[in-house]
Amino acid sequence: MLLPKFDYNAPSDLEEACQIMANYGDQAKLLAGGTDLLIALQKKSIAPAQIVALDRIEDLEGGWGDEDGFFLGSRTTAAEIAESDYGPAGQALAQAASQIGSPLIRNLATIGGNLATAMPAADMAPPLLALQASIVLQKYGSRREVAISDFFVAPGEQVMSAEEIMSLIFIPELPAGSGGAFEKLGVRKALERSIISVAAVISLNDDGKTINQARIALGAVAPTPMLAVNAAAGLCGKKATAKNFTEAGKTAAQEAQPRGLRTSALYSRLMVETLTVRALNRAFDAASQ
Amino acid sequence: MKKCQITFQLNGITCEVLVNPNQTLVRMLRDDLGLTGTKYGCGEGDCGSCTVLLDGEPVNSCLMLAAQVDGHQITTIEGLADGDKLHPLQTSFIEKGAIQCGFCTPGMILSAKNLLEKQPNPSELEVRTAISGNLCRCTGYQKIVEAILATASPDCQCSSGDVKNCHEED
Repeated sequence: MLLPKFDYNAPSDLEEACQIMANYGDQAKLLAGGTDLLIALQKKSIAPAQIVALDRIEDLEGGWGDEDGFFLGSRTTAAEIAESDYGPAGQALAQAASQIGSPLIRNLATIGGNLATAMPAADMAPPLLALQASIVLQKYGSRREVAISDFFVAPGEQVMSAEEIMSLIFIPELPAGSGGAFEKLGVRKALERSIISVAAVISLNDDGKTINQARIALGAVAPTPMLAVNAAAGLCGKKATAKNFTEAGKTAAQEAQPRGLRTSALYSRLMVETLTVRALNRAFDAASQ
Repeated sequence: MKKCQITFQLNGITCEVLVNPNQTLVRMLRDDLGLTGTKYGCGEGDCGSCTVLLDGEPVNSCLMLAAQVDGHQITTIEGLADGDKLHPLQTSFIEKGAIQCGFCTPGMILSAKNLLEKQPNPSELEVRTAISGNLCRCTGYQKIVEAILATASPDCQCSSGDVKNCHEED
């Protein structure tokens, strides 16, 4: 199928890319992994005059850490993330990345693209919400940092302006005794958009049993990926027991806002409970190691 | 629409091509360069019949612009055989009856090649995961999995049903 006509720009650094985006604004579209953009172009649902490819900008690739936490370039691929070691809590992100699309898709698809397309089922969103990540957005002459909990607006919509480029994702360091896990429900193991996804991250007190902090994030059960705030708050100060995890699962199911689009709302809520319990159990195992 | 001048390695040969910016990689390979071994299937990254290796890693060439391969290495199915001598995976696919209509075969073999380079002795699960982006509507996958496992362990005589026992993970 023929794609609409556009000009192709391949800037070699972020400043040049920002300049191009400042010039063209909403006439330009950013090309990261292309796994969503190329389909949108083929379907003619978008017809930008300019494509700005980000693959020559080395600053946008790979990850590095310091004492505050971990930085990931927005063009880091799902395959690279799936194979990375982000520690017992960050493994929730690696687990999510490893279940996106297929090996072929994961070699192209990027973390920045997964977030910027802002699909309710974006698999890397729940772990990043549970890890309290923030997103660095740059445009010509300025940069801002947005908490991921403030990033998503509606299905397919986020807070980025037409000139902005996502440069980095920052994951703050968690205390020792933290663990995370990701659970995905689909009807098949590959090439599957999540019906429901859940990420859980917990931090244990020194006794190894009491939960100091917990965060639970849900995908595909609301217009945007969301935090189950009440479910997580209910766990703080409690022991990591099956009873408390089940209680958290029930609360998360109440917080979910399924619209019954891909499966019935009742089934969604039931599975949110099940997957939340599973994710909490696995997060606890990871935290206990 | 300004054309893009790109230079890349295609099956080990340096290629300089002038492409339209809206040309996808699969279309350039098939229509401009005549390499029709790469198939065009769904055009949306679901079927894997357009699989090529980008710097050794399998990707859907329908989801890439041709201009993006500037400076990179691309391997297509045409790049595997050495003259008349087929690649061991190609031979194994023929011997095991893993080819029926053949439309998925180039993609299957390229995904398998990448797997065997990373993991020379894969388990059945690793094989099935590696080809999970490549759809076959003829074979039911069993013979494809056997052909890939047989390439990894040429001495193995396993056939349908024994694969699990023969290739269990340690």
